[in-house]
Amino acid sequence: MKFQIEDVTVYFPYDHIYPEQHAYMVELKRALDAKGHCLLEMPTGTGKTIALLSLITSYALSKPSSLVKLLYCTRTVHEMEKTLGELKLLHRYQRLHLGDAARTLALGLSSRKNLCINPAVVSAENRDSVDAGCRKLTASWVRALAVENPNIPTCQFYEDYEKAASDAVLPPGVYTLQDLRAFGKEKGWCPYFLARHMVQFANVVVYSYQYLLDPKVAGIISKEMQRESVVVFDEAHNIDNVCIEALSVSVRRQTLEGATRNLNKMTQEIQRFKNTDAGRLRAEYNRLVDGLAQRGNLPIGDTWLSNPVLPDDILKQAVPGHIRKAESFVSLLRRLVQYLKGRLETENVEKEGPVAFVGSINAQVGIDQKTLRFCYDRLHSLMLTLEITDTDEFLHIQTICDFATLVGTYTRGFSIIIEPFDERMPHIPDPVLQLSCHDASLAIKPVFERFQSVVITSGTLSPIDLYPRLLNFNPVVSRSFTMSLTRDCICPMVLTRGSDQLPVSTKFDLRSDPGVERNYGRLLLEMVSVVPDGIVCFFVSYSYMDGIVNSWNETGILKEIMQHKLVFIETQDVVETTLALDNYRKACDCGRGAVFFSVARGKVAEGIDFDRHYGRLVIMFGVPFQYTLSRILLARLEYLRETFQIKEGDFLTFDALRQAAQCVGRVIRSKADYGMMIFADKRYSRHDKRSKLPGWILSHLRDAHLNLSTDMAVHIAREFLRKMAQPYDKTGGSGKKTLLSQEDLEKVGNGSLGEMLF
Amino acid sequence: MFDWQEEAIAIGTMNHTEHNNGKGKRLNREDNEEDDDEEEDERDLEAWERAYADERSWESLQEDESGLLRPIDNKTLHHAQYRRRLRALSSTATAARIQKGLIRYLFLVIDLSRAAGEMDFRPSRMVVVAKQVEAFIREFFDQNPLSQIGLVTIKDGIAQCLTDLGGSPESHIKALLGKLDCSGDSSIQNALDLVHDYLNQIPSYGHREVLILYSALTTCDPGDIMETIQKCKKSKIRCSIIGLSAEVFICRHLCQETGGSYSVALDEVRLANEWILKAELCLHIN
Repeated sequence: MKFQIEDVTVYFPYDHIYPEQHAYMVELKRALDAKGHCLLEMPTGTGKTIALLSLITSYALSKPSSLVKLLYCTRTVHEMEKTLGELKLLHRYQRLHLGDAARTLALGLSSRKNLCINPAVVSAENRDSVDAGCRKLTASWVRALAVENPNIPTCQFYEDYEKAASDAVLPPGVYTLQDLRAFGKEKGWCPYFLARHMVQFANVVVYSYQYLLDPKVAGIISKEMQRESVVVFDEAHNIDNVCIEALSVSVRRQTLEGATRNLNKMTQEIQRFKNTDAGRLRAEYNRLVDGLAQRGNLPIGDTWLSNPVLPDDILKQAVPGHIRKAESFVSLLRRLVQYLKGRLETENVEKEGPVAFVGSINAQVGIDQKTLRFCYDRLHSLMLTLEITDTDEFLHIQTICDFATLVGTYTRGFSIIIEPFDERMPHIPDPVLQLSCHDASLAIKPVFERFQSVVITSGTLSPIDLYPRLLNFNPVVSRSFTMSLTRDCICPMVLTRGSDQLPVSTKFDLRSDPGVERNYGRLLLEMVSVVPDGIVCFFVSYSYMDGIVNSWNETGILKEIMQHKLVFIETQDVVETTLALDNYRKACDCGRGAVFFSVARGKVAEGIDFDRHYGRLVIMFGVPFQYTLSRILLARLEYLRETFQIKEGDFLTFDALRQAAQCVGRVIRSKADYGMMIFADKRYSRHDKRSKLPGWILSHLRDAHLNLSTDMAVHIAREFLRKMAQPYDKTGGSGKKTLLSQEDLEKVGNGSLGEMLF
Repeated sequence: MFDWQEEAIAIGTMNHTEHNNGKGKRLNREDNEEDDDEEEDERDLEAWERAYADERSWESLQEDESGLLRPIDNKTLHHAQYRRRLRALSSTATAARIQKGLIRYLFLVIDLSRAAGEMDFRPSRMVVVAKQVEAFIREFFDQNPLSQIGLVTIKDGIAQCLTDLGGSPESHIKALLGKLDCSGDSSIQNALDLVHDYLNQIPSYGHREVLILYSALTTCDPGDIMETIQKCKKSKIRCSIIGLSAEVFICRHLCQETGGSYSVALDEVRLANEWILKAELCLHIN
């Protein structure tokens, strides 16, 4: 269908549109008009992605001058493929209406692991080894050698891509990763380098968060994007954590040992070069004298990493004199590693700010702040000079240099925490030195500054006023949309008591109480006997899950549960968990029924959908607070309080509740679906906790469901399931319209539509 | 506390409406049902046995011309809509898929596993089911005089043939009423395998059908049920299921594959409705 939103003609590939999608588009359009950032919350299963894509591409089509590019960031490769699939559909529809005027180029960009088509390289097991394998074949010096000596292997695809030179372009269209690989195979060109090249010309680029947020990668991939681009972060409820992780480094004993090995190897290499090709080292020295920014004389394939967010003026400065020479730089790194080793020997927990830390480095091993700042770039320059291709071997020394540069660059928003052992296992010495970033706004600041519109959207962004404070920006639009439903297909409940009326909670003093464990067990037992097919349970942590499953096993509850449904458990091992999930799905399919035990904040809670019969009920056992004794968390809380005036309690509750909402949101992925959600903890009935749940859950949480005991919950579940099993018609025949056709949209103006909805 | 208030209000309205049109009791009952469909027989229950309901009964009152309060009467409307929808659904299914046949061979599979002993239908699911089966068998032979019925029960994970295909309603009913106790798990696959063996011998002019009354929410099968479903599909056995508690994926899948209908009974009245529908379906086929 085709309709007007103010002055933009929107092309929407389906015959009907949900009212909330329309409202979403209207808000988004206003944000684009205002050239500002926006924050939009809309429940999952309402077609956020297609609404976003169709509005932004339509906007670009109707105002060709105002928008150049859409950068769409997803969290996983799977989501990337899904987004591109939708885009393909949309593109076909636009072509149908507009003909060649709608020609666009859209593509996904991912790591070599996902794009490589050279069978010898892509068979390596992890991302780093694929990267290294690729470099071994495509680095400029390897290729130069190969010209003389045909026995040196190169990558045929890369060679052909290079040969085609400027002819190597993608014709307009929408390319998923699969399409890119197929295209590459057909033409014999390397899809990875082709995609990287085409990103500059594409109208829509779909890639992962890291390409914009992680300063190490962002520099090379995203530096040529124009200001008039729209950046979309989808599923962005955890964006602050992604930002923080991008700037945090942890150093362990193994890292330091590995770094020492790397340094030895480098010394040998330097020695070898000195004997054979001293000119190279001298050339590098001269280049460094001129300054880092001018080192652009290396071919594009080689600049695999770039500087972190260094202030611009530093880039133009020359590298300090005493690390320009390769040997002196290596010896400086040795001193740094030695110093860090010394710090790790400590018996006590230590916490320091970056300034004090740099001060003590300076005092003890004589490295000043400015030198530290350059470590990262200097190392990479050196590695290029030494023609090191197996970069995966050199990860350790890279970590050390990351650390040095970050410590040297930022004076605020970080702290260095040294812990001699893990709090929870004090007998096992496992010293770790962590540079933890507390300020999510540091990593995302360049993104907000560079691009005119940044859209942050997810199913759970509540409370919506906290995100601007955490990320330190001013949205022009921030809205939360509810879902319009033809029937009440979600049924959230807060369970505060067991059948014996004793309160249940995972509060620290209550959690190991046998009564609470028994009540939780009885709850699950009752539920497995009334809920068909799949049930998902989320626990607050792995250790708590282990404990409670153990005690259920001892008291025989687990056995009784198994009579009704099979039990599967998530573990920290990815392969094991995948296998468990597979079997869980199989058990749901063949009617045996299954329960999946999982952990909030785990892999399953973030990325796996339990839609339709795979999840008819999700039980959240307890409130998933973070481990509050963790020093990193404490330091971050302190920072948040001082800098952004966010109270500790507020932040912790917000964080716990968004995790809980994320967990329970797994069960409902579309409007035709239905599912129940049980929040099993007495603390959920308190207003300060409950009010932080997203609006679309709250609007279905009836007052009568706020303080339930197990038997009441079972009764409600029975009735709900019966009601949902009845046939229903999708358009919502009477009363509220939940599907709008083109005529409906034309009939009601924008204003009255809004009123109809809210 | 809530219950008390509600009771008081309910009684209040009852008095009003009784003055008004004499069928207040009926109306009032229907009003209660509207939010909560299990309330059907709540009137004669004790307060502590009643469902927890949060309907705001005062909101569903309406003032009539003379200023008296009356409950809004949209229950009948709902009910009619529901029936119509069901019928539309089954008629499209039948029109598309079912060949008209003169003689039907129907196996009634009754699930007597642990779940059939639950008391959410009173006095228990299996008693209600037995009552309905009795009515159904009589109705069926009225409508389809030349057709035959057989009874199969599932208990302890094993399917057992209670009566062979036959045309005497009395013998079926007697056999069923004599065997009414429940235990163990249930297995759809076992039942289908058994029924499949019987129905496979039916000559091709006969119409092969299975109607399963399923109380349980799981099926514990010895092998791959998907294969059995395909086997049934191949022998053109049409499987329909009436569930008693909730929608189960495998049941829906089975019905979809074999062209049958799947429904879940909301309460006793609706259960009877489903049966009437099946009887109507018989008419349609003949």
